[in-house]
Amino acid sequence: MRQSQPTFTWRKITESKLFFPFLALALILLFDLIFDPGFFRIETKEGNLYGSLVDILRNGSCIMLLGIGMTMVIATGGVDLSVGAVMAIAASVAAIMMNPVIIGVKLPPDLMKFIYDPNFTYAPLWQVILVTLIVSTICGVWNGLLVAYAKIQPMVATLILMIAGRGIAQLITNGVRIQIFYEPYAFIGNGWVILPFSLYIVALVLVIAWLLTRKTAIGMFIESAGINSRSSFYSGIDEQKIKLIAYAFCGFCAGVAGIIASANIKTSDANNLGLNYELDAILAVVIGGTLMAGGRFSLLASVVGALVIQATTTSMYAIGVPANAVLAIKGLVVVFVILLYAEQVRDLVRRITGQTARPSGKGAGS
Amino acid sequence: MIQKISTLVANNRRFLPLSATIAMFFIAYALGAVFADGMRDPQVFFNLFRTSPFYLISAIGMTFVILTGGIDLSVSGVVALTTVASAALLRAGWDPWVVMLLMLGMGMALGAIMGAFITYLKVQPFIATLAGMWFARGLCFFISDDAISINDRIFRILGQTKILIPGLADPVTKQGDYISILVIVELVVLAVAIYIAHYTRFGRTVYAIGGNEQSARLMGLPVNRTKVLVYTLSGFCSALAGITLSIYVLSGHGLYARGFELTIIASVVMGGTMLSGGVGYVFGTLFGVLITGLIQTLIQFNGQLSSWWTNIVVGALTLVFIGVQSLLAAQKIRQLASKKFQSQAKERVTPRQVGARNRQMLLVGGGALVVIVLAVLAIGGAQNTTRGSGASSSTPIAATCQLKPFREEHAASLLKAGAIIAYERNGGSNCIDELYAIYPDGRIVGDDGTRKIEKQVTPADVEKLLADITGRGWFTEEMYTTWHVPCGQCFSYDLTVSYKGQAKTVKAVDGGTDAPANYWQVVSTINGVIPHFTSTQ
Repeated sequence: MRQSQPTFTWRKITESKLFFPFLALALILLFDLIFDPGFFRIETKEGNLYGSLVDILRNGSCIMLLGIGMTMVIATGGVDLSVGAVMAIAASVAAIMMNPVIIGVKLPPDLMKFIYDPNFTYAPLWQVILVTLIVSTICGVWNGLLVAYAKIQPMVATLILMIAGRGIAQLITNGVRIQIFYEPYAFIGNGWVILPFSLYIVALVLVIAWLLTRKTAIGMFIESAGINSRSSFYSGIDEQKIKLIAYAFCGFCAGVAGIIASANIKTSDANNLGLNYELDAILAVVIGGTLMAGGRFSLLASVVGALVIQATTTSMYAIGVPANAVLAIKGLVVVFVILLYAEQVRDLVRRITGQTARPSGKGAGS
Repeated sequence: MIQKISTLVANNRRFLPLSATIAMFFIAYALGAVFADGMRDPQVFFNLFRTSPFYLISAIGMTFVILTGGIDLSVSGVVALTTVASAALLRAGWDPWVVMLLMLGMGMALGAIMGAFITYLKVQPFIATLAGMWFARGLCFFISDDAISINDRIFRILGQTKILIPGLADPVTKQGDYISILVIVELVVLAVAIYIAHYTRFGRTVYAIGGNEQSARLMGLPVNRTKVLVYTLSGFCSALAGITLSIYVLSGHGLYARGFELTIIASVVMGGTMLSGGVGYVFGTLFGVLITGLIQTLIQFNGQLSSWWTNIVVGALTLVFIGVQSLLAAQKIRQLASKKFQSQAKERVTPRQVGARNRQMLLVGGGALVVIVLAVLAIGGAQNTTRGSGASSSTPIAATCQLKPFREEHAASLLKAGAIIAYERNGGSNCIDELYAIYPDGRIVGDDGTRKIEKQVTPADVEKLLADITGRGWFTEEMYTTWHVPCGQCFSYDLTVSYKGQAKTVKAVDGGTDAPANYWQVVSTINGVIPHFTSTQ
């Protein structure tokens, strides 16, 4: 048993930010193990890995990306409700650049016939991605300006773009759902290089975010702005700029997620793309243990939180719960996670572990 | 004169956002009436009420929650659950009045549970009500996947009785302007809510909690009980809104009221309630809801603008109102600071006056912006009505072609003749109407009414296509949840697939629809296979 080791390590594990997200993930996977033994089977086709576990990772990539961006924003004490709408805007921009015919742009006749060709795109791929990411970052900057400089409550400020964003996305494509035929773009969401290609993008963004926040002072500034923005202002931190950066980065992440999502379904769907993803993303961050009030954050824990959400959904599908009814189960999982985090329950856990490990250890639970 | 107005404004600062909203509503309505003849019909005004009972009732509940500084995202879920549950119970033969009471009880119970989570477990309102929303909406689909229609007599009477307006209608012929019973219900709820908010101890506690929860607690107010009650009240309002919605549409479905909570929150904010809590009036919510309805009406009368402009305008309006609000809040802080300063140094009041002027300028500017936006809508509508059909030529893409009815018999006959996929594309910028049939031997025939086109692929390709379609969940329940919202400029699809003894038709329209993502993948897969007519234009 673990008791032979000093109880210090056990305590350290349970107090770690990663403990509860991993516990929740483990519980869900345990549930799968009991109800659907085939869940863990992984197949290789043409050197690529397929299976339910890979599916969780692949389908969860959007929420993971949004979760990374959302972590930064929530750590500054804010929230970004507009990520789903920004995803839709990004998808519309990308689709319109690859296939402008649909909004009435008349191509020369020799190009018209290529429009269904999987190797044809109107603008080159690097331009499509660059412009899309710039547009989504601008959306993030807009949120940041409203929150940091106009001092509007984050929930309200981002609500504006959330409501207007889908309208804007439809405005861009003139209300038309544009199909994407260009294969290299679709590869971003559909492709596999041993693992799904989108996972590498998530990993890249995660590494960038981690380097930015843990190898520079930005992470500390974000936390200090979240804990007390006034006092961090007085200690010489430009908390407004820090918030702006956080929201801009969140917009950027939403843009990447929008590209992946639209590449996956090969359409720009302004109405449904990323619908309710902002709620998933916020939930991922909360499961990851970052407080909505701001302050200490952990990017990895948020990513695990996103996986918890996606694993719940996927395993519900696996045991045959109808798609829409999964929401109810998700609601129950949220309640469960809330209970895990509630102070009363934590106290209880602490008391139990404290009593078994250290009979007199009560003062340690600060 | 100006000074008089400015003192009046300064003395009644707390009414400013509210009066700005009310003024804006009437100005916009007047502009609409000036430019669009159709809007002069009083029935248009009554319709604003007639189509909004569910919005207003749930917005009232939301107002109370927001006044305490919380938020309730669960309204849309509870509304949808109420419609489905009441439709299912009525189908099972329950007494309608019992059903209504049961629904109200259910809404209150859900609200109370969320309130308890928020109050006693210190969960963020956002998260707790989000869980509530998911739970309620998910439950709908455990009850029924499809829409359930309501045939109950009492629901029909409640929904379809016309209450004629004295003076504007002829009581003998029963013609003229009217409202429905639901309008009476919503106005009664509004009156009761105003009474509760401003004339009861409970209402004052709500404001106190929103102002500062800590000091409310220190004052000995029953903070915990009030917070739970507020969410219970919101649950009650949502359930009542759900009942009115099911009376209004006479059916129940789990996908009703999607994104409802955000419209509601925006309406409440436009009504002058501050999301930080403690400031606002229930009466303002009425005008917030009416303005949202008015925007839709103006866009309808305009005829040229697409429905998504509603979203954009509501977003812009929210921004303006919040701008005004945060300005007022900042002003208040500055004023408090300057008062302190005054008492210490006996300063002049000049900074305050300058501030007041700035504030007025911005207020007027913001208001003017909103009026301009609404005026543009109204004028656009007027031009459209005067120019009539000629207007469609002004924008190249607005060449609205009427969506033709699906050639269902034709498609069915194709299937009988051995085709396994019948696929119709309809509409689009060129007003096409193409019907494709894919046969098991790989033959694909397209027919656009005048021409035919053929393409040959291998039988293996067809089998792969079918496997893909099935893999996308074609024969699952999820595919039933597709909508018909004709939009004129976009494609509508009608897709029948028969495979391994199963056959299923799904219809959907591109843009403005809520078909599941898998549906579009199926459409795009098929689009990649079928031949395409070369553009004749």
